[in-house]
Amino acid sequence: MNAIGISNLVKKYGNVVAVDDLSLTVPKGAMFGFLGPNGSGKSTTIGCLTGLLDPNAGSVEVLGQPFHVNSVELKRRMGVMPETLGLFDPLYAHEFLTFIARMFGLDEAATRKRVTELLSALELADERKILGEYSAGMRKRVAFAAAVIHSPDVLFLDEPFESIDPAGVALMKHWLRRFTEQGRTVFITSHVLETVERLCTDIAIITRPGKLVWQGNITALANDGAIRHDGHEFRALEPLFLHLTGERYADLSWL
Amino acid sequence: MNGNLIGHLFRLRYKLLWARTRTRNGKIALFVVGYCLFFLSLTFILLGGIGAGIVAVRSGKALWVAQGVLTAVFFQSLITALTMGFGMNAIFSDAELRRYPIAERERWLARHLVAIVDPFWILSIVLELGLLVGLSLLDAASFGMGAVAVLLLFATNYLAARVLGLLLERLMQHKIGSLVLLMLILAVSFGVGTMGQWLAHVPGAGKALGMIFSCTPPFGAASVMTSAGFHVVSGLALLVCWLAGLVFALTVLERRAPSFRSESKKISISWRSIYDRLADLFGSENAPLTGYWLRFYLRNSRFRTMYVISLPVAAFLTFSLGSFSPGGHSDPVHIFVVALGTFPMVTFLGPGKFVLNQFGYSGGGFRRFFLLPADPAAALRTGSYASIILSASLLIPAAAVWIVFEPLRFDVRLLCMLVASGIAGLMGIHGIGLWATMFGPRRGNYNQALGNDLSAMGNTVLVGGMLILMFLPQSLAKAYPSLTQPEQWWLAIPLVVASSAFYVFSLRSACALFPKRREQLMAVVEGRQS
Repeated sequence: MNAIGISNLVKKYGNVVAVDDLSLTVPKGAMFGFLGPNGSGKSTTIGCLTGLLDPNAGSVEVLGQPFHVNSVELKRRMGVMPETLGLFDPLYAHEFLTFIARMFGLDEAATRKRVTELLSALELADERKILGEYSAGMRKRVAFAAAVIHSPDVLFLDEPFESIDPAGVALMKHWLRRFTEQGRTVFITSHVLETVERLCTDIAIITRPGKLVWQGNITALANDGAIRHDGHEFRALEPLFLHLTGERYADLSWL
Repeated sequence: MNGNLIGHLFRLRYKLLWARTRTRNGKIALFVVGYCLFFLSLTFILLGGIGAGIVAVRSGKALWVAQGVLTAVFFQSLITALTMGFGMNAIFSDAELRRYPIAERERWLARHLVAIVDPFWILSIVLELGLLVGLSLLDAASFGMGAVAVLLLFATNYLAARVLGLLLERLMQHKIGSLVLLMLILAVSFGVGTMGQWLAHVPGAGKALGMIFSCTPPFGAASVMTSAGFHVVSGLALLVCWLAGLVFALTVLERRAPSFRSESKKISISWRSIYDRLADLFGSENAPLTGYWLRFYLRNSRFRTMYVISLPVAAFLTFSLGSFSPGGHSDPVHIFVVALGTFPMVTFLGPGKFVLNQFGYSGGGFRRFFLLPADPAAALRTGSYASIILSASLLIPAAAVWIVFEPLRFDVRLLCMLVASGIAGLMGIHGIGLWATMFGPRRGNYNQALGNDLSAMGNTVLVGGMLILMFLPQSLAKAYPSLTQPEQWWLAIPLVVASSAFYVFSLRSACALFPKRREQLMAVVEGRQS
């Protein structure tokens, strides 16, 4: 069974096409990396998958059911860390996480336990600032905690590791691996190809404007193997990505 | 001095303003603000200023009229800037300018030069120049020296607003800031209210007051405009002293970074705070979101400031406007008529900017509302409920103040009419606010205590609403005097019913619209579109 299915997705902003006829499936239990250059439509696709944006054409399925902005029951089974993090700046971290837990239907005892444990694990328990006063890395930790607090079946993470220190990234990766071991699905966008290579089992690469150019399993790379494509052999994700999206070299005489 | 770079920044401010006209809303705003308001106001103000100048010369009291006009413009600009936030927007912050190769003094100069050319301040200088033109056309002033005085007064006016704004901001960061501000406003209101009696009964009081006013910038500018010899020099010296003092004060205040409350405050996790208990009144489904909105409002320094001062401001307006009755004497019935307009104002001043732009201050948090497993419109509904409950709570002390200070014999029917007027205003503004939130959003800064960040639509509703509340009851009472009689108390019922029906209709319509307009709202709130 597929956790996520996208069929002929089209999203336009005015006359500008952001995603063009994108079709994609993500198997259940996958750690799925969704890659592409800047402006290729990754965040727009996540927006359509999580109800932030309305597609102009095509359809989206999550956990085998059609998904749209009012799919309340499906949203209860999804965790999302959006591009802008979606934090409520006037709240303290514990207030924000309690709010999220209550919205996702956790009872009072579970809420207290999970909020306390998350704050402690992510080293946020001693913070005496409201979220608006947090550093970029701390904000990201809170957004991550908000995405996982209700143990969702599908997790959407838009650039989750940027700005977070190595210890924090290691902890998050550990949690994500355990998450997929339990049969849950993770959908990640990231520009850090080394992290994706070591963490993800499957990836899709899109290029402007939101066109799928490659999808497949990459576990071979993590086991020192190789991927064959277009008659080439790739032993790392970076050369494959550059081959598919176009390498750009320009020399500036003054630099 | 890197004049070239400062010039670039100066032009950038207007390029950014012009860039807003690329959107449809921006074009409408440009038309309304640029043409209808700005150019028409310029014409009227210029004519008004010249008119005042002509009156000044014909009455033979050029100095007296100039002092009056300049003082009125100075204090009106100051009060409008501080209460409505006009002319107080920080276009560039010091941190933003640090990326450019300019020194600290140049950054200071660039920031304030860019800020002073705000259309609001231009309106005030045009009025002052209008007066000067009027006076010099009739040979009652030297245009050259007068122009220097007007420029100095203009800069002083801007700097005074900035210094007072920063002081207020610092004040509101303290726990007792709201209380101190309330006391200050009450003291000023009481002082102004008793001024007439004080002047009439205390010998020499008028002279003392005159001495105090003669040391203010508008009096200095008036001396330069209308006098000669020593008075011109002393007037200029006074203006320069004020200018230097305000520059010094502003520099010191800006260098002393504000200390944030939360840094020194120990937070212990409270699982059931007062916000949550209050929010529970709205049912378990709405409670978490209502709890968020209550925190959103009550943790905002501008909301807290306006919330605290709205009752004294409304009381001051009631008794000061009420004392100017059509008959020329203090009339208790007229005070009641004015109170019919100021009662709704009590519920209007505190949450005004949020009610008219509910999501403009959410930033990246806005998209969270669509990720929650709930009807997206619940965010709009609960935000409106939280604002209503906070605003409505002010009607109780307002009614108590009326009962204590009532100029007429206590009549429960009159009280009923006042409270009904308050409820009608509350429901009316929240109803209109939902439409402004949907169709006139604008990205604002939640932490900015001063500055006006409403859209043209929001400002039109805010300023228009204030004017309507101030003058509609008086006009109606003049046209239909029987409407304000206690026997007509029953009119309060259809008024409340009609305004509540309008609110419910607006809420239902806006809730249906909200998911459809989320992409446009998201683009504005997150700053991708203005």
